[in-house]
Amino acid sequence: MEALATIARIAAEAGDAGLDAAALKANSAAASAGQAYGLAAIGPGIGIGIIFGKAIESMARQPEAAGMVRTTMFLGVAFTEALALIGFVVFILLKYA
Amino acid sequence: MLLSLLLAAEDMGPNPIAPENKELLWGAGSFLVFLFVMRVFLVPKVKKGMDARYGDIRSGHESAQATRVAAQNDVHAYEEAVAKVRAEAAARIDAARQTLDAERQAKVDEVNSRIAARRADADRELAAARAAARGEVATAVGNVTARATQLVLGKSPDASLVKRAVDATMNGGRS
Amino acid sequence: MKFSVLAFEFPPINVLLRWQDVLPTINKVVIVSILASLIGMGLFLAAARKDPKKAPKGARNLAEILIEFIEKQIVMQTLGPTGLGWTPFLLTIFIFVYLCNVPGIIPLIQMPATARMGVPAFLALMVWVVYNATGIKHQGPIGYFKSTLFPPGVPKALYVLVTPIEFISSIVVRPFSLAVRLFANMLAGHLLLVIFALLSEALFQARDKILIPVGILPFAMLLFLTVFEVLVGFLQAYIFTILTAVYINMASHAEH
Repeated sequence: MEALATIARIAAEAGDAGLDAAALKANSAAASAGQAYGLAAIGPGIGIGIIFGKAIESMARQPEAAGMVRTTMFLGVAFTEALALIGFVVFILLKYA
Repeated sequence: MLLSLLLAAEDMGPNPIAPENKELLWGAGSFLVFLFVMRVFLVPKVKKGMDARYGDIRSGHESAQATRVAAQNDVHAYEEAVAKVRAEAAARIDAARQTLDAERQAKVDEVNSRIAARRADADRELAAARAAARGEVATAVGNVTARATQLVLGKSPDASLVKRAVDATMNGGRS
Repeated sequence: MKFSVLAFEFPPINVLLRWQDVLPTINKVVIVSILASLIGMGLFLAAARKDPKKAPKGARNLAEILIEFIEKQIVMQTLGPTGLGWTPFLLTIFIFVYLCNVPGIIPLIQMPATARMGVPAFLALMVWVVYNATGIKHQGPIGYFKSTLFPPGVPKALYVLVTPIEFISSIVVRPFSLAVRLFANMLAGHLLLVIFALLSEALFQARDKILIPVGILPFAMLLFLTVFEVLVGFLQAYIFTILTAVYINMASHAEH
């Protein structure tokens, strides 16, 4: 994406293509949007993996506590997932604002 | 008009993330009405019905438990009564058996004593008869002896001497 | 203005999310949220009219399962037995959010009301008001803000750092994340469904005949995502409800 944006910028500076400043801005916004979401997904992805892994571990160790573990697990997932979702919202904000 | 439900608004419009006032207000209104109705009327009513039914089930369980305990008590009482009757019957049978035994013993004793008496009578008669026969034999032998002696000696012997001789011979012969 | 990637035209996002008014101020999203409320009420009305002494069937069975689910899985797990009075509130939130989520996968409707910010924003704002009011009611205004902003057991000097963090996390971030979590989940699901539906359509109608069988792949993905959205719709309603219960619990008991 960034490479495309760079090429577009070069092309626009050269005055070859019919690219104006607005299209340029849209391109670079799209590129940053993609990066924003990609970066925002890294941490929560690892975090949710750890949460589920630990929850399965504790459920296997103590099956009688499975109900409580599941509730707490969903709470943890909800808090962790919020970060990725904020990244998704920022993605849309960057792309369409 | 309904067709427009399927048609999206074409304009670029505001930011897709910003809340739209009409949606927010209508959502708020419908939710608050829903919450009010649920909170005030519907949930308490359904819950009351649930609690009543659960109470019914619980009391049914408890009465079934009580009935079971009562039935078990009845069974125990019946078993006790049966045991008592059985013991009484056994006691009566024992008593009857003892009475019977005693009666039989008494009869047996009576019969035995009668047999013993008869045997004694018979023995006595036998002894008497033997004695009589012996007396007759002794007399006859004495007579024969006396006659033989008279024939030999020509005089009759002393009766007491003869008798003594005969007795001595008979007794000696026997022993 | 359309965005195109390799001749695949993707419509602008507002075309996917904004709808024409059927009546003044009433569009599809509004109709979905009103229907959610009406269906929920109808279910419980039908349940309440049935004889409670008989074994529950149909509407009554569903209503009782929902009540027991809220009581056993949410209230007892977070608020404990003293919080059973919150059951109607949490039950209403759960049913409303679920019935707003589920139209996202019902054919011909295919628009979750929660994929627009209006309903989640209102719900989060209401939850914010409710849990703050609960905290003030249980601990008094001064006690509540003291226990929220100045958690005990922290060295005095650290309050300079802790108080702004606590303020932001419990007053600002909580309702924001509550609203954004629900909204962004449903919006992402909706956009995924749209992307794969449009991709299958474009491939099935491709001029190049070789591309037509390839369209089976995004179509299979579309079916899988539809099933996945059933799960997400339920899970988001559950998480919204249980987080509400957790926030109410935090507010009604002094921390630590």
